[in-house]
Amino acid sequence: MEKKRYAIVLDTKKCLNCKACTVACKFENYVPVGDDTYRIWVTELPLQGKFPHLHQDFQPSQCQHCENTPCEKVCPTKATFKTPEGVVLVDYEKCILCKACMTACPYDARFVSEHHEAVEKCTFCMHRVSEGREPACVETCPVRVREFGDLNDPNSRVSRLLSSRPYMQLKPEKNTRPRLFYVL
Amino acid sequence: MSTRIDNLRSLIRVNRDVPAIPFIAAGFVLLVLGLIGVARVIFEGHEAVYGVTRQVPWGLLIATYAYFVITSTGLAFIGGLGHAFGFHQFAGLSKRIVLLAFIVLLAGFTQIGMELGHPFRLMYLLILSPHFSAPIVWMGIFYGIELAILGLELLVIFNPAGTNHKLAAILGFLALVVGVLATSNLGFVFGSLTARPFFHGIYFPTFLVVSGIAGGAALLLLVYNIVYKFNVPEQFKEAMNSLGKLMGLCISIMIFLSFWKVLSSLYTEPQEAYDAVITLLRGPLYANFWIGEVLMALVLPLALLIVSKAREIKTMGLAGLTFLIGMFFTRYDFIVAGQLPPMRAGNEGSGVETINGLMHYTPSSGEWMIFFLGLGLFLFLYFLSERFLILDADAH
Repeated sequence: MEKKRYAIVLDTKKCLNCKACTVACKFENYVPVGDDTYRIWVTELPLQGKFPHLHQDFQPSQCQHCENTPCEKVCPTKATFKTPEGVVLVDYEKCILCKACMTACPYDARFVSEHHEAVEKCTFCMHRVSEGREPACVETCPVRVREFGDLNDPNSRVSRLLSSRPYMQLKPEKNTRPRLFYVL
Repeated sequence: MSTRIDNLRSLIRVNRDVPAIPFIAAGFVLLVLGLIGVARVIFEGHEAVYGVTRQVPWGLLIATYAYFVITSTGLAFIGGLGHAFGFHQFAGLSKRIVLLAFIVLLAGFTQIGMELGHPFRLMYLLILSPHFSAPIVWMGIFYGIELAILGLELLVIFNPAGTNHKLAAILGFLALVVGVLATSNLGFVFGSLTARPFFHGIYFPTFLVVSGIAGGAALLLLVYNIVYKFNVPEQFKEAMNSLGKLMGLCISIMIFLSFWKVLSSLYTEPQEAYDAVITLLRGPLYANFWIGEVLMALVLPLALLIVSKAREIKTMGLAGLTFLIGMFFTRYDFIVAGQLPPMRAGNEGSGVETINGLMHYTPSSGEWMIFFLGLGLFLFLYFLSERFLILDADAH
């Protein structure tokens, strides 16, 4: 059986900026309170158009779980590693807090966690996925901006979305090949 | 037994002529301040004491680490020239070169030790779980070997039974090679960061090696002027002349490299590299760049060296002092400028706060205290050695 390739596909046109995903992530993963401590975020993109014809998009984002992984490459102790499914994780016991991964990440997706005494980031909620559940941000979203699934399964929602809609990835010029896809 | 004691006595004496006491005292005060900083980090935690942030994770401590370790490998380079490559004028400086290189490297290690959240974890994980494709692993390996080589060199040079010059030559050569590898790899530690194009390319590995050699020469010129109260004896004049020429050559290469680095980062405005260079030219680091880097590290010392014609040792000592101050700004700017362009725009909700589109960083009092720890350790240990050891080597 072909191994799974997990990914998240986002339809940001649906996003209400309710930030339920960010709250769910904090509670699910015991992310400490603080301005710099967050695994996911919702950016309010600049207003478009002219009054009264105004429009604003929101861009939820998080660790891109890059296939070409800048943070994993510079980690001196293999604390950052990739699972066979392509999920980028941190072994907190191996992290020496050199912060090379933070400087290497083009998405600013990592931060120092005083709770773990290590650098932490989005894990695609692997503890939930292994129980057959979806990541907290995916499950909690009232309008299903995010879909989570296996790219190697042609019938998964992520595969169907990517085969039926054009999409983009963040910072393609970095050649990181993210596992987050934004359908247009 | 008595021969052994006599041999040891041949290494030690109280050098009352060397003005070491003020430096030892200053070093001690700085060390105490540094140790208070260490206590703060232990009891309050890195995050509470340091000013680095999620977006600018490397700050003053990494800059000071780079400043010290690169200067140390520059000294080892000059020592290697003397020991192994027939530059006999440097042979008479060998004791001070090796001792300085060793102590300056130790001072650098205080900075990285206090920067890392888990320094002891690093020591065993480098053996148990090394990731050989990560440049930081090689940084640890090369600088660790460099410290061991310099330690061995110290033992050989300060052997009471006499120096084994052949072994010293081999160790000097190894220190030169490993030092160049360590410093150029340090450039790659930054060059390997996908997110930071400012650090990419051959510029930094080359610049760090060349500026390290200039730093080593500058420190030697300054130290000899201090030790001999700006009246360096005739026997060292040839060595000082050569150090002045070497420093002048290295500064000239640095000007050449810097000019093209800045120009290539401006031309066609390659996004993040352009933003980083703008922080230097007219952004938040402009004073550091124009006064610290350009004036104090490049223009002024080169002008002083030209005026002195590499003969007036006092003037060269002054050039060494201005260069060493300027070089600190250069290291700081190098580390910080590359991190100021944000990875995400500072829009509402992004969690990123920018000023004029750039991240911001100011070292905290705790970081300055750790800086004092390194500087204090250097001043205290080195001038203690000057006070009590015989450091004028026999030429060989």
